[in-house]
Amino acid sequence: MKNKGLGEFEELVLLAVCILDGGAYGVSVKREVEKHSGRSILLGAVHITLYRLQDKGLLESELGGNTGKRGDRRKRLFKITDMGMRQLQAAQDVRQRMWQLIPQLNPNMS
Amino acid sequence: MEKREAHKTPALANWLAKRFIDRIYLEEFFGDLQEIYTDRLQSKGRFHARFMYWIDMLHLLFGFSSFNLLKTQNNNIMIRSMFKIAWLSAIRQKQFTVLNILGLTLGIATSLIIGLYIHHETTYDSFHTYETRIYRINQSSIWYDWNDQYASTGPNVAVALREDVPEFEEVTRILKIAGQGGQTIRHRSNQKKNKLFIEQRYFAAEENFFNIFSFEFLQGDPKTALKAPSGMVITEETAKRYFGQEEVMGKTLEVKQGDGSWKTFTISGILANVPKRSHLQFDILVSLNSIKERLQEHEWRWVWTAFSTYGLVKEGTDIQTLTEKIQSIPPKWAATTTKRIFNQTFDEFTAGKPWRLYLQPLREIYLSETPDQHYFGPTGSPQFVQIFGAIGVLVLVLSCINFMNLSTARSSNRAKEVGIRKVMGSERKTLIKQFIFESILFVGAGTLCAVLLVQFSLKGFNALAEKQLTLMPYLTDPIFLGIIGSFVLLLGFVSGSYPALYLSSFKPIQVLKGKMSAGFKGKGIRNSLVIFQFTISIALIICSFFVQKQLTYTSSLDLGIDKDNILQIHHIEQLGFDTEIIKTKLAANPAFSQIGKSFAIPPNIWDGERYRASGPESPVVDISNFRAEGDYLNLLGAEFVAGRNFDPERINDKYGVILNEEAVKVLGWGTRETYDTNSPIGKFVIQAFDNEEKMEVIGVVKDFNFNSVKEKIGPLMVIHHQNDLWYNYGRGRSYLSLQLNSEVVKNTSDLQSVLDQVRDEIRQIDPSVPFSYSFMDQEFESTFRSEQRMGTILNLFTAMAVIIACLGLFGLAAFSAEQRMKELGIRKVLGAGTSALLVLFSSEFTRLIFIAILLASPMAYFLVDTWLTNFAYRTPIDLWVFMLAAFSALVIALVAIGYQSLKAACQNPVEILKDE
Repeated sequence: MKNKGLGEFEELVLLAVCILDGGAYGVSVKREVEKHSGRSILLGAVHITLYRLQDKGLLESELGGNTGKRGDRRKRLFKITDMGMRQLQAAQDVRQRMWQLIPQLNPNMS
Repeated sequence: MEKREAHKTPALANWLAKRFIDRIYLEEFFGDLQEIYTDRLQSKGRFHARFMYWIDMLHLLFGFSSFNLLKTQNNNIMIRSMFKIAWLSAIRQKQFTVLNILGLTLGIATSLIIGLYIHHETTYDSFHTYETRIYRINQSSIWYDWNDQYASTGPNVAVALREDVPEFEEVTRILKIAGQGGQTIRHRSNQKKNKLFIEQRYFAAEENFFNIFSFEFLQGDPKTALKAPSGMVITEETAKRYFGQEEVMGKTLEVKQGDGSWKTFTISGILANVPKRSHLQFDILVSLNSIKERLQEHEWRWVWTAFSTYGLVKEGTDIQTLTEKIQSIPPKWAATTTKRIFNQTFDEFTAGKPWRLYLQPLREIYLSETPDQHYFGPTGSPQFVQIFGAIGVLVLVLSCINFMNLSTARSSNRAKEVGIRKVMGSERKTLIKQFIFESILFVGAGTLCAVLLVQFSLKGFNALAEKQLTLMPYLTDPIFLGIIGSFVLLLGFVSGSYPALYLSSFKPIQVLKGKMSAGFKGKGIRNSLVIFQFTISIALIICSFFVQKQLTYTSSLDLGIDKDNILQIHHIEQLGFDTEIIKTKLAANPAFSQIGKSFAIPPNIWDGERYRASGPESPVVDISNFRAEGDYLNLLGAEFVAGRNFDPERINDKYGVILNEEAVKVLGWGTRETYDTNSPIGKFVIQAFDNEEKMEVIGVVKDFNFNSVKEKIGPLMVIHHQNDLWYNYGRGRSYLSLQLNSEVVKNTSDLQSVLDQVRDEIRQIDPSVPFSYSFMDQEFESTFRSEQRMGTILNLFTAMAVIIACLGLFGLAAFSAEQRMKELGIRKVLGAGTSALLVLFSSEFTRLIFIAILLASPMAYFLVDTWLTNFAYRTPIDLWVFMLAAFSALVIALVAIGYQSLKAACQNPVEILKDE
């Protein structure tokens, strides 16, 4: 299957994982995305997306670190892969290029 | 501990997750969920946190479910595909899916409620530590039928057991000392007004009571609380009532005695409120030592049958042997009593009848048929438990049948699918798996809906049944969940197996060729299942009609007295024995047309004694008796068939008695027809005890019901209220009955003002006398309370059964309409009218209903006949009720299939036939 690019939510999740830099797991990703996007998200949606991204090879994960709050259960910490970074970059590039083509925003071009 | 409790996440959700989510995800999911849950708990509260926990969990379930339940090594994909196919076919046939799930939901919900009810009823008294070793000692019902058991014993039974039977670790007695109207108790305090209550649940218990029963003490020492003669143990709720938030231990309460004086008790223990599911219900226990003198004086009496005796047997005691052993007690110990009271030897007294002692296990007391009366709390009805248990099973069977029926009926729709799959190489085993899987899925969904339905409707059911059933605690109980889980699997398997075997047996070539006739093969079975369903439903309809009919019949029965508009004022005895002042005052009130005083009021005339007619060799008989004045009999409208009423002008009347016809008959003085030649008037009745007083019969009244109309009218004797030769002269409860003048008291506000006036009159005489009243017609009505309750619940369940059967019929009709679409189309083209088609189509089903009616009628007749034997006065088993029930079943069934018939009959034949 060829990479079809990232969905909007996937992109948000990927970005959150990058921001959290090693501290990304279900709840923290949910909070990060909620904080920046200002909408409330179901935990399940985050998990489903995280695993989908992992299946696509954009994320990798390992179990580690717990807090008392979790009843001594470990977290699954997600980390972006090189391919993930490339995809994110590619998506950003596409946008960047297109932004630059919007005439209203670029008085120089007109 | 408390903290952990608060952080506990919903167990059912966790259980589901464990079942359906792959183990590798579980740890992190639970961790994440717990983390969010804790945050939400703090910020938004428990309800929100739990609710969102469920939402999140369900969301994860849908996202990650892999069905651990059925999972073997690598059939993950298989399961997914099975799930997909199930989902697709459910979606494609929405109508069937909805009918199926609805039917299952109703059926499972009904039987779940009934199951909760039965569990509730059968686990009374299970909270005592020694529950398996506690027995109540019952004796032969020496006042009535000696073959029955009687839950009360004389005080001496405990003494005898302690002395003669070492197998008992403890024996304790509890005595009902409050009269029928309750006991007046007050709390006197300096600052505030006195607090005064009437306590109904007030008993005297022996000091070792708490060695046997483990009621929870909040304060005080169970070992010594009832030791002191002034000791009193009250429940938490009672303490609040009298003392509010104050410290209670060591405070005093005063109990009003029969002679009007107040006796002081000191509170020596506070109990947690008595659990609802205890056959012993009390608010206040006083020490039995408080009546020590009376007890010592009368302890030898075996006929002071007001005590309940309980024994704790030693561990490992064989109850059979013990029961045998204690049979030697009555001949040895009761002989004194028969000699001193009845002047008979033990053998003369029993006259060959068995005076036995019985050991009744504690757990069986609440729900046993005999003895049906005891003073200390509620008794259950084993009959209800049996009836509802049977109904629960039946309704469940009905809904399973529904499910099977609908599943096979829609089989023809899936025949093509089966054919294609078989051609593609699907094995029969896979197909069977698929169908069973689907049916488990359906049952699971139905159960889930049913649990929700029960949760929401339980409050209503509790109000109806006057119970406190709860579902919530069970939801976290692994045993309950296990039962539910295995129930889903079992029911899904059973009801899925027939369609599975049947559907998977299709021959692909025939099916694909379009020989849909295969789909009709199961018709015989389906029809018989429909007949079965309707037989049950119709039988239930008939039964509930008869229950209603019997209830209406008994409430409209002529009692022989005038029970309407009679207001009864209680606690008159507290105004003193002479009540002429209050009587004159009330008689002057135009709201009352008649007024009379009595010492018991129907339907609660329970006292009775042993009497015989004067003359040699006359047999001793039991006769109910109560004291009243002549005015009371006038107020009742009692009809005199011989002699006259008490006359206040004749002083000697106070030693006369009035009998009813039945009493005259049992005394051997003949019936109404023989009064002319052999009048009972002027004859003498003799007390068969104590001083053998003679009393002259001055009048005979026509029999009237002085107890519930469940019973036949027994012999009755009315004693003059001022008869001072009678042993209970000046004691006991008394009542003033007032007949309301319907010209003055027209509506409820009039009634309220009349009640206020009466209360003020009583207050003026003595403000410490509590005001309470009742109406005679309501009292009679309330003797049928449990039957009325049963009637209502029966109606509800009958409705359930009918609805389920109709859902099934509706589904089958829809299926049949689909099948016969072309046939009906062709008939229409050939000239058949809509109405003709309607009849043709419906007749297929009405035939089934008629067969069901024929089967149901004798069944229902038998059931109704059995039930009616409980009543002394029975409504006739009329044919028209059967016809009415049959007719209504038919109408309901026709409505259920009407829509489908109409749809089928009104189709435009062009639409149907054009495909071919």
